[in-house]
Amino acid sequence: MSPDPSHYLVIGAILFSLGAIGFLTRRNLILMMLSTELMLHGVSVNLTAFSRFHDQHDGQALTIFILTVAACEAGLSLAIILALYQRTRSLDIRLWTTLGEEELMPPMADAASREVQAPSEPLPKLAPAGRRPTIGADGHVSSPIIVPPKGTGKGSKA
Amino acid sequence: MNWVSENASLIGTLVLLGATILMLFPTVSNSSGKRSKLLGYLLIPVSLAALGWVFLQPTGDMVRDILFYVAGGTAVIGGLLMTTERNPVYAALWFAVATLGVCGLFVINSAPFLAAVTIIVYAGAIVVTFVFVIMLAQQEKSAGYDRIPQQPLLATILGCLLVGTMLVGIHKTFGPAEPALLAVDRSNLHVSSRPVEGDLGSPRGIGRTLFTDYLFAVELAGTILLVATIGAIAIAPRRPQGSL
Amino acid sequence: MANWSDIALATIPAAPLAAAVWCGTVAQVVRRNTSHRPVILALAASLVAAFYLLAVVVPGSIVDGSAHPPDVSASASTDAAGAATSNEHGGAAGHDGHGVDHKPYVLEVYRWMTVGGLDVRIDLRADAMTALMLVMVNFVSLLVAIFASSYMHGDKGYPRFFGAMALFVFSMNMLVLAGNFIEVFVFWEGVGLCSYLLIGHWYHKPSAAAAARKAFVVNRIGDFGLMTAIFLIYRTFGSVDFETVLDPAKLSELAAAQPGLVTTICLLLLLGAIGKSAQFPLHVWLPDAMEGPTPVSALIHAATMVTAGVYLIARCTPLFVHSPTAQLFVAGVGAATALIAAITALCQYDLKRVLAYSTVSQLGYMFMALGAAAASPALAAHAETFAMFHLLTHAFFKAVLFLAAGSVMHAMGDVIDMRRFSGLKKSLPITHLTFLCGALALAGFPLLSGFWSKDEILSVVWEATRVGPYGTFFLVVLAIGLFTSLLTAFYTFRAYFLTFHGPERFPEEAGHHPHDAPPAMAIPLYLLAGLALIAGIILGPTHLYAHYIEKTPNFPAAEAAGMNLGMMALSTILALGGIGIAYAIYGSATRTAYTTSQTTNFWERLSLQGLYIDELYGFVVVKPMAALSAVCEFIDRMILDKIVDAVGLLPMIAGGIIRPVQNGLVNSYAAVMLLGVIVALVSVLRAIAAV
Repeated sequence: MSPDPSHYLVIGAILFSLGAIGFLTRRNLILMMLSTELMLHGVSVNLTAFSRFHDQHDGQALTIFILTVAACEAGLSLAIILALYQRTRSLDIRLWTTLGEEELMPPMADAASREVQAPSEPLPKLAPAGRRPTIGADGHVSSPIIVPPKGTGKGSKA
Repeated sequence: MNWVSENASLIGTLVLLGATILMLFPTVSNSSGKRSKLLGYLLIPVSLAALGWVFLQPTGDMVRDILFYVAGGTAVIGGLLMTTERNPVYAALWFAVATLGVCGLFVINSAPFLAAVTIIVYAGAIVVTFVFVIMLAQQEKSAGYDRIPQQPLLATILGCLLVGTMLVGIHKTFGPAEPALLAVDRSNLHVSSRPVEGDLGSPRGIGRTLFTDYLFAVELAGTILLVATIGAIAIAPRRPQGSL
Repeated sequence: MANWSDIALATIPAAPLAAAVWCGTVAQVVRRNTSHRPVILALAASLVAAFYLLAVVVPGSIVDGSAHPPDVSASASTDAAGAATSNEHGGAAGHDGHGVDHKPYVLEVYRWMTVGGLDVRIDLRADAMTALMLVMVNFVSLLVAIFASSYMHGDKGYPRFFGAMALFVFSMNMLVLAGNFIEVFVFWEGVGLCSYLLIGHWYHKPSAAAAARKAFVVNRIGDFGLMTAIFLIYRTFGSVDFETVLDPAKLSELAAAQPGLVTTICLLLLLGAIGKSAQFPLHVWLPDAMEGPTPVSALIHAATMVTAGVYLIARCTPLFVHSPTAQLFVAGVGAATALIAAITALCQYDLKRVLAYSTVSQLGYMFMALGAAAASPALAAHAETFAMFHLLTHAFFKAVLFLAAGSVMHAMGDVIDMRRFSGLKKSLPITHLTFLCGALALAGFPLLSGFWSKDEILSVVWEATRVGPYGTFFLVVLAIGLFTSLLTAFYTFRAYFLTFHGPERFPEEAGHHPHDAPPAMAIPLYLLAGLALIAGIILGPTHLYAHYIEKTPNFPAAEAAGMNLGMMALSTILALGGIGIAYAIYGSATRTAYTTSQTTNFWERLSLQGLYIDELYGFVVVKPMAALSAVCEFIDRMILDKIVDAVGLLPMIAGGIIRPVQNGLVNSYAAVMLLGVIVALVSVLRAIAAV
């Protein structure tokens, strides 16, 4: 008979909650992501504990998936964070409140980070598939209207 | 009130834990910050001891217990300090410590392969990447957004409520009050199709599970990895918009 | 089966409508300056059709209808009779004292709506009274249109003017031809609309716009009465057709059963008529309506539209004969209006306003006559006949007066203030002559048309004093009528002498050589002046008119009317007396120029301001209304709006409480999520514990 998994569950719960607290309190974008990794750890502990409790491999297999997803998430989030950092030269989450109510800018955003405002560039957008965008000297992208080459209309004949 | 007195030990532990976290948070003022931080460090063992006393009584298997306390303690202390450390690099390192503790727990739970993989992936890859990015985005001096946490009180209360709820749940399910739940009828569980028969945690067993029961999920995970790779390549570099 | 009668009947309204459509659409773009031509053409066609109606259709239908009863004549009768019987629907034919069937000639054009028991058709219904009205309306309209083609020449809204005028004639014709009360109401509003459009023709002038608005608003009061009357009629009779409602036999039963109901309907109809015919106390809009172009004043506000009220009451005579109370009201209103308007006209210095008040006063005469039947039902025929007769003669002489005034205005550079010109006799001979004809006719100079019709009205009232229970009342009415007749002669000739006699003076707007009426204006003036002179003596003493109009279906039984020589003599004396007084005061060649400084006398100011009735309304109606509006506005703004604002504020406050969550910060959203997780977890645990 398998041992009582409750000890591990307690540790998992504590790790999960610590991760949550970290996510709530951190203002550094990178550390917020790191906090979510800690939450994932909590889940992993639970999964392995149950795996042993039930004497099955499923929990461990799911942990492998967690690892995979965490790796993806870390890669993507870091890429996004880098892109954001390139805009503002800051990792402060409070600079990114575009979706919020206008006059409710976080009161505590300190002066140093506030001075660095987000530039008014348009958001990045991908060129429509199948079209070669032209990039101006200023980096402005324009998608030309593709004129179908002459003669394609009669293609069925050929 | 009845409920409070019945669960006095739980509430006391949570309050202690919350106080520890609050104390550990960096504050604006330097001198009082140092003092409270010291208090926080002192409170860590106290709260951990209380936690162990209330929830983690030794099971009797001494080697296991000692290993559990060491690994669990490492994980929790690493998590605590990662959450509250003001320097992001240190926080990343504390995360690595927590990862090590978690891996210890994996080992105790008969998952040595998992432990190895986790150490390789997390400590070897993820933490290094994080630290790399942190270094890349390093400010001249420690940035304001690292020095000042936001709404620590609210976050701590919420976190303690969460952990308290979960602890109550665990206690109710596996605690002494409900022994019947422990006698799980295996035949009713539909966790896996195959019994393990003693090689729990072996790469062979995990591999067999992954590539039989979870084959589709494995393929999906591979796809996700591919997509994430492409996405990261598309997003991160600095170059004119819209070009790839 | 289209026959000549149907075509004639349809032409009367259709031709002006087509002209109106043309002016409203095509003429706005091309041929702007000749847009009078289709209108004149259409009016001429309507006039011909109206004469055909007068001479052929109506007598034909009557004679044949009486000779061959409908049940046997269907196959063997002439065109006209066949059409009459085949188109005749529902209504019982009227019977007069001689036992002759007088059926209207009806052309059903369109079944407008059938809602429950309400069946509304657009009918063209012709009878004797209709035919007379149509001839008068189209004749005057045609002449006024010819006059206006010259008078309005060069106006910016030339096609608009003629379009509105054609539309007016269409509406007026339809109003007269209407076969039921709803149709009457629709075109009653139609003529009101055209009146509004034409008064406001020069809409850029604030006074014209205000006058148009005033006419429209004041008319609404009367329309309210008419509309309510129609509702009540439908509720009482279950139909709005003239044939059903004005059936004397049924009406007698109804009047015996519910006299109050009939009186109510009559009084409401009277309210409608008061509004449209500018009777006291709703007469205030008509003098202001003189802001419109003078041809409009001549056509709408003297000859045709304002007589619609008289026409309506005359048309409803079968109803009114059953309600002496309502008829007393009619007579009282008429007398009061005649007197008040005459007094007001005494000191006006605006030539057109003199004529406007004179119109109001003459309409009062017609109402007086219509009300005279209160004394005895036997008088109803005379009353109606003479009211309609006066309507006809008045249309001619008042039209010529207005057109002559327009000619003066034309020559004087749009100046109409009698203090600024005088002695125009030499420079405007045509205008002078025609104005004199009209003035003599209006004053009731012996043997001219006004003399006959007014004399008949006064004799009817005199009859009313002798028979029936209301002798004293009608004695007062008669006294007022006689006194007004004196005043009429006086103010008419005051205006004449002031304008055409005395030292020759022109306002500077006229230039040095004012030119008299060009032919297009002179011909209508001559024609109308001629009619003003002779229409009375042709139609009055010979009883042509009376014999024709009594062929109207449901016309009250008539007795032979003798000439009242005493009344004739009296009114002659009064007319001559009035003219003489006017000559004594204003006619002497040596008089000084009439200037503003003379109007300082209190009584003259009272007259000049129209007995201060406008000011009284301003004080009694407009001011309290404005105060009430101010109170309402205050309540609306300060209380209702604030309540609405407060209601709007509630969600705002409620939103303000949880708004900080929506600060765009990921951490806040995560905190809310965490809270949700906790709540979910707790509820799950409680559920487990409960099991």
